[in-house]
Amino acid sequence: MIELLNRPVLRLVLLGFVALALQTTLLADMTLDGVVVQLMLCLSVAAGVSGGSERGALVGFMFGAMFDLVLSTPLGLTALVYGLAGFVAGYVNSLTANHPWWLGSIVVASSTALATFVHPIFASWVGVDGWLTLRVVQVAGVVAAFNAVLSPLAVPLMRWALVIRRRARLAPPPEIFL
Amino acid sequence: MPVYSVSRRRALALLALSSILLITLDLQGNSIVDGVRRAFGTVFEPIQDSARVVTRPIENAWRGITDYSDLEDENRRLQDLVDQQEGAFIAALATARDAQELLALNGIDDLTEISSITAQVVGGAPSNFSQTVEINQGSRDGLRVGMPVVNAGGLVGKVTQVFSARSIVLLANDATYAVPVQIINLPEATTTTSTTTTSTTTTTSTTTTTTSTSVPSSEAPPLGLATSVVDQSTSSPAPSTSVASIITAAPASTVSPPSAQTSTTINIDNLPATEIGALRGRGPDQPPIVEFVEQSSRFGEIRVGAVVITAGGSKSLAPRGIVVGRVVKIVERPGTAGAILEVRLSARLTSLNFVRVLLYQPAVSE
Repeated sequence: MIELLNRPVLRLVLLGFVALALQTTLLADMTLDGVVVQLMLCLSVAAGVSGGSERGALVGFMFGAMFDLVLSTPLGLTALVYGLAGFVAGYVNSLTANHPWWLGSIVVASSTALATFVHPIFASWVGVDGWLTLRVVQVAGVVAAFNAVLSPLAVPLMRWALVIRRRARLAPPPEIFL
Repeated sequence: MPVYSVSRRRALALLALSSILLITLDLQGNSIVDGVRRAFGTVFEPIQDSARVVTRPIENAWRGITDYSDLEDENRRLQDLVDQQEGAFIAALATARDAQELLALNGIDDLTEISSITAQVVGGAPSNFSQTVEINQGSRDGLRVGMPVVNAGGLVGKVTQVFSARSIVLLANDATYAVPVQIINLPEATTTTSTTTTSTTTTTSTTTTTTSTSVPSSEAPPLGLATSVVDQSTSSPAPSTSVASIITAAPASTVSPPSAQTSTTINIDNLPATEIGALRGRGPDQPPIVEFVEQSSRFGEIRVGAVVITAGGSKSLAPRGIVVGRVVKIVERPGTAGAILEVRLSARLTSLNFVRVLLYQPAVSE
């Protein structure tokens, strides 16, 4: 049983369900000036920061797909956007050798803002019109700020979920060896 | 600069292609995708319910902190409104009964004949882009996808996802929401002499005008519109007046003397024709619009303040006669494009609590 819990897939599924439950209940009602905080997006980009671009993309795709299944929007749209956000977060984070905590917050905030801007653009490409308005700026600002605050918790949480050991964490990101 | 191997590029490309494939399948209406959604909803429902129970105290505390002053103001405003509506309700009962009798005489469907289920809104939209709410009734209560949802104010939206004990309602201001509607210009009011009964209390003044007329079947007044108008101060309706309350009563704080009240009766011969258009939502920060308006010379020019109701019909998911709102702005477009009408919805979608799901399905649906 304990060995089973050490598997990243199971941890990610459990974490995904808990986060989705919080997203659709508590966070859906606790809005900041009408803006819903995006926990699933925060965890997706945190996965990129903690585990690199490839893991970020995979976790983003998985969490986005789970979110899509409870939304009325086309299945795969949020998965695509969150996967991209996780990838970008991991890629940007790998550009530096040192990773102070505040840099992680900046990467999480910028990747979140990017995803929030990209989401309505992708939506309009697949025929869901009306999302691309000036309100996106407000939404991106609020969600990015909240995710930046949340990142010192989200990044270690995703390290736990992805079973990233301390030694691997302190080593340079795998991308630079390729 | 990091370099990516071919296998990693392939993996990422595979993810992107998977997303695009899923989007394509879902937009085409794939039964497997629908099945996966339903299965996920069934698995997720108990987890979500548990989370709701656990997080309710936190949510209540948050609301107590952030919404207390707003709730106080709203409570005061609603109390005033209740006082006003009490008088209007009594007057409306009489005219509604007249209207129902006329509809029955002419064999026209009536909203009151459609069964409905009251549901409580238990959750908001988890996304910042789609405008949805979650209600606590589902397929075991008889709800189906597409059923219209209303509240006391008017049209709220339609059911888009149904699970066993809960459903997702797409609100009328969502960018993907559309419904055929009719636009009805309010008729020019003409002052006539009629039998008037006035009852004045210390808090509310109510005037009821009764008219006895025969209505041709083709020009029967739509449901929700009364055949008599009582005007307390001015002949034109105030912009803040609710669509449903065509019959108005004096505010609770002021009691007008009977001599100051003028009874205004609509001439049945001048009942307006209706225009057909399509209502489309545009998100939370922009009012919905009516486009593709079929302008006819018999209708005349559409005016600001015109009433918008659902058009019904065999292909519409909503029956005829649900009050939608009022035209607040008319944007003329050159050429044959026709005007765009901005509509203020009569239902307040930002503070929904209880809603009514009409168990209505059009004749052509499965």
